[in-house]
Amino acid sequence: MTTLQDAAAAGSGVGTPGGPSGPGGSGPGGGDGPPGSPATRRRGPLADADRSTWLAAGIGMVGLVALWWVLAVTVFSDGGAVPTPWEVLRALWDDRELMWTSARSTVQIAAKGWLIGNGLAIGLAVLFFGVPVVERVLLQIGVASYCLPVIAIGPILTTVFDGHTPQIALAGISVFFTTLVGTLLGLRAAEQASLDLVRASGGGAWKQMRLIRLRAALPSTFAALQIAAPAAVLGAIIGEFLGADRGLGVAMVHSEQALEVARTWALAIVASAVAGLGYALTALVARLMTPWAPRGNPGGG
Amino acid sequence: MSAAATPMSEPAGPAEPSVPAPGSGVSVAGLRKEFRLGRKSVLALDDVNLSTTEGSFLTLIGPSGCGKSTVLRILADLEAPSAGEVLVHGEHPAAARRGHHLGIAFQDAALLPWRSVEANIRLPLEVSGVKADRSVIAELISLVGLAGFEKARPAQLSGGMRQRVAIARALVVEPRILLLDEPFGALDDMTRQRLNFELLRVWSARSTTTVLVTHSIPEAVVLSDTVAVMSARPGRISSSVEIDLPRPRTPEMLRSTRFHELHDELSSLLFAGAEPEAGVEREAVAAGTPAPDAARSPG
Repeated sequence: MTTLQDAAAAGSGVGTPGGPSGPGGSGPGGGDGPPGSPATRRRGPLADADRSTWLAAGIGMVGLVALWWVLAVTVFSDGGAVPTPWEVLRALWDDRELMWTSARSTVQIAAKGWLIGNGLAIGLAVLFFGVPVVERVLLQIGVASYCLPVIAIGPILTTVFDGHTPQIALAGISVFFTTLVGTLLGLRAAEQASLDLVRASGGGAWKQMRLIRLRAALPSTFAALQIAAPAAVLGAIIGEFLGADRGLGVAMVHSEQALEVARTWALAIVASAVAGLGYALTALVARLMTPWAPRGNPGGG
Repeated sequence: MSAAATPMSEPAGPAEPSVPAPGSGVSVAGLRKEFRLGRKSVLALDDVNLSTTEGSFLTLIGPSGCGKSTVLRILADLEAPSAGEVLVHGEHPAAARRGHHLGIAFQDAALLPWRSVEANIRLPLEVSGVKADRSVIAELISLVGLAGFEKARPAQLSGGMRQRVAIARALVVEPRILLLDEPFGALDDMTRQRLNFELLRVWSARSTTTVLVTHSIPEAVVLSDTVAVMSARPGRISSSVEIDLPRPRTPEMLRSTRFHELHDELSSLLFAGAEPEAGVEREAVAAGTPAPDAARSPG
């Protein structure tokens, strides 16, 4: 059970993306509107908080790049291990073809892994929710998949499968557990009174699942899916490290061995951008699909 | 889950299970409920007996923890009784539940935050698989005074408005029995009083058999035909008071002598049946206050 709680805490911690306030902006206007409930009042300050978060993030980025530049031309100027931001930018442009093909391949693999891993996790969670023994076994399999070092199963997978299968499998394994836990927690987060209502109206477990639980699970499931996006990219890249014909991982290994420092850095930036983009896209979809969910605390409630 | 609630001895009593006895509303006989808390078992209800006529308004009142909500949950087939017989219009609660004859509202409005007012009210119909008639829902919305808020989300409503949605939702299946578990318990007195009279209006338009659970004496007097006072641990019906205020009830009645008499009668009954610990406390306070006088008089 501690793993459940920990994962939930991790989910709510990571899932605090900034951004403009939800659709509709600040609550209903007009003097004759309903009295401001806590929920409607919450939106104003939150929008401000969002804006200052963005500002802080921007300032942080600029500061970081500046610091990097200063260090590159002072402390690390001799070894050539730390290129300046300008050199990295140039590498990004000069090797744009490599960047593009590698990133495309990695994204395809990560996306497949993301879909399969999350699909399995969500499907199994919904299917076996509330089946006491099976649910526990499922969680144990999830924990096992989470504890297995990806780096250790990678070589095994590479010897067993060929093509992109090992990389896809690694991406899938990287997302399975968090999504499983997120979905199970979400399904459990449904309000008892709502479930009672469905039951009193003549419904059973299936109607409770369809009308209440599946929707109530969305915020926490999306929190998990958000974490899953960068995790899938990481899984795919590790898979590529261990042997593949193309992809960001492969390009990284090659440019490192060729002592192409700026290109290695550029690839790292592309990898981060891809992971970040996946995270942001999931956050956006979550925002559109769960407008009722409290922002910044996707797992809570 | 639902199967566990079904087994109940159907006695060869006067009420035929399949054919509802004419005129019978809620009938509870020898109801007993034990809860298991770990290894211990707690007796929540013991020998509860209730009987009302169809279309009447019964209120259960009692100290918190006396099991009044449990009685309601058993009537709604959300809990199974440990012993005793419970019939709603002559049928078992499980049958009433599966027949979509129940309307229920809780203290927490329990609206689904992702659904509009309209869609929340529609929920019980979706459960029962009945095609929602838009005009019926529109009518209900205006009946509870929420016209214009059809598309509003629960987060945009005040507490009182949410409770109105909950009441409308309870009524949408045109229930034969309406079960209200402190539906106005979380509201301020003003809103509560207004909603009491609105509920009366809605109720008298349909005269559905109703069971209300509350801890507000004025609410009980204003709304009910009968008030059953419960005592705690284990919960029992300690007394029952017929409310003979004429209907329709009006806000003016709140100032009538009869209202106050009934109010006083209920509050003395309530305090007499209050839980022992609280009773001791109250006695101590009562003994404490006049003590200075008592000390003075002999001296």
